[in-house]
Amino acid sequence: MAEADQKIHTIRAEMVANVLSVSVTIGESVIIGQTVLLLDSMKMEIPVLSEVSGKVIEIAITPGEIIQEGDPLIMIAEH
Amino acid sequence: MSEQPAQPVQPDQRDPQLRMERLVDAGSLVALTERDTSGMFAAYGNINGSRVSIFATDATIQGGAMGEAGAYVILKAYEDAMAHKNPVIGIWHSGGARLREGVASLHAFGLVFHAITQASGKIPQLSLVVGPAAGGGAYGPALTDVIVLGPEGRIFVTGPDVVKSVTGESVDMARLGGPEPHGRRSGVVHVVAETEDQAYESIKTVADLLGAQGVLAAKLPEVNLAGLLPESSKRAYDVHPLIEGILDADSQLQELHPKWAPNIVTTLGRFGGRTVGVVANNPLRLGGCLDSSSAEKAARFVRMCDSFGVPLLVIVDVPGYLPGVGQEWDGVVRRGAKLLHAFSEAVVPRVTLITRKAYGGAYIAMNSRSLGATKVFAWPGAEVAVMGAVAAIRVLHRRILADIPDDQRVAMELELAAEHEKISGGVARAIEIGVVDEILEPTVTRTALAQAILQAPANRGQHGNIPL
Repeated sequence: MAEADQKIHTIRAEMVANVLSVSVTIGESVIIGQTVLLLDSMKMEIPVLSEVSGKVIEIAITPGEIIQEGDPLIMIAEH
Repeated sequence: MSEQPAQPVQPDQRDPQLRMERLVDAGSLVALTERDTSGMFAAYGNINGSRVSIFATDATIQGGAMGEAGAYVILKAYEDAMAHKNPVIGIWHSGGARLREGVASLHAFGLVFHAITQASGKIPQLSLVVGPAAGGGAYGPALTDVIVLGPEGRIFVTGPDVVKSVTGESVDMARLGGPEPHGRRSGVVHVVAETEDQAYESIKTVADLLGAQGVLAAKLPEVNLAGLLPESSKRAYDVHPLIEGILDADSQLQELHPKWAPNIVTTLGRFGGRTVGVVANNPLRLGGCLDSSSAEKAARFVRMCDSFGVPLLVIVDVPGYLPGVGQEWDGVVRRGAKLLHAFSEAVVPRVTLITRKAYGGAYIAMNSRSLGATKVFAWPGAEVAVMGAVAAIRVLHRRILADIPDDQRVAMELELAAEHEKISGGVARAIEIGVVDEILEPTVTRTALAQAILQAPANRGQHGNIPL
């Protein structure tokens, strides 16, 4: 399938948090349930899991950044 | 009718009797009403040997629209279910009220809503929505205890055509009232099934769990549950494996509202052979915080379990209530209060297990001693506090900390936090003042939970289950 036809899935922030680390790189393939980044919120380290399988095409945040609920974090082109 | 020889025809899958036969044990279905033009059919049968009453809309007649005669068929099913004190299952595929009957059909729906409400909390009421369920056809299921939505199920007050003509908004049936909006956003549906077979299976599981609750065994095989938590106490994790570890290995399970408010998990399952309701914070989602939706979801579940005499296991790992403007404006005070009310009111055995932490107002809301918990257990290392120690000393020692040079502040905070924990944190203080009964090793947890349930009076709440 051509890239242009692929469905793009955006992982968004569920809550206000501080980005601790990003566990994937652009171009990397991820599977459902894989940890894509680690957030710090409510004094906890909260992993964010991918809801789809596909290839990471954009990472919209950097470690240390404060994100708000609904912010786009990572875009994945679904397989 | 044609006089030609009968051709073998595919049976219409919308036929109400066929749909009922998919639910019940083979050969057990007995009609309660005639097959007629009312657009409704009622019967009774067995699911895994236990009696259930069933009604189904007949979507082959006027799209399952209901008028006065249809309402009386549903009332017949309710009369039968109440007389036998068994679950009632409604199979819905209905365009709503019969327009030709005018206000009489509105009256008919009102009679059905009244009957459903009168039976609420007395017998389990389950709804299987396999096609569009509009208007009154939406509110019928909405008043019941559990709604399972099949892949073709759609629930809405007004369909896409009316939406378009009134608001100009263009939307299809699936986006308006299909599995995605009702499973994730609205909380209208408890279970979204991926296939129709799975939808029927879910209804059978819930009917069995609520209708044939079983007897709790006194001694249970133990599982090492500690391995199901991450090593770091700060790390979030998915609570589902822990719930499955606590419930029987071969347990029938049905999670309700899995995708709506996923920061709290509400699951019906078997524990020592007996049906229990599990309420558990899920740290993987929103850190396990309580918020307006999750409090409301849990409150409704607690009230349902209480009304059917189903004991509750409450698994606590909660950092607090989710702070923020959005939550306050969403009514977290009003909706959060529902959970306080639900637990305080419940008379079924309700046992709490604090696995890691219980902080602040959320500690109270998660079936604390003060709300009347049957028993409160904690695993070693669990923390019960108003807030985390570091956060607490930042408030308590704000002035001292402000005067300390930046490079020494972290060390000072840790020192103050350790001291604070000694006097007010940890689980020791909670045991001392009697808000935690006992520290349990994860390896003996199952038997202790079972004993706590067995020692409590097997009461059942005397109230309906309003769809909170």
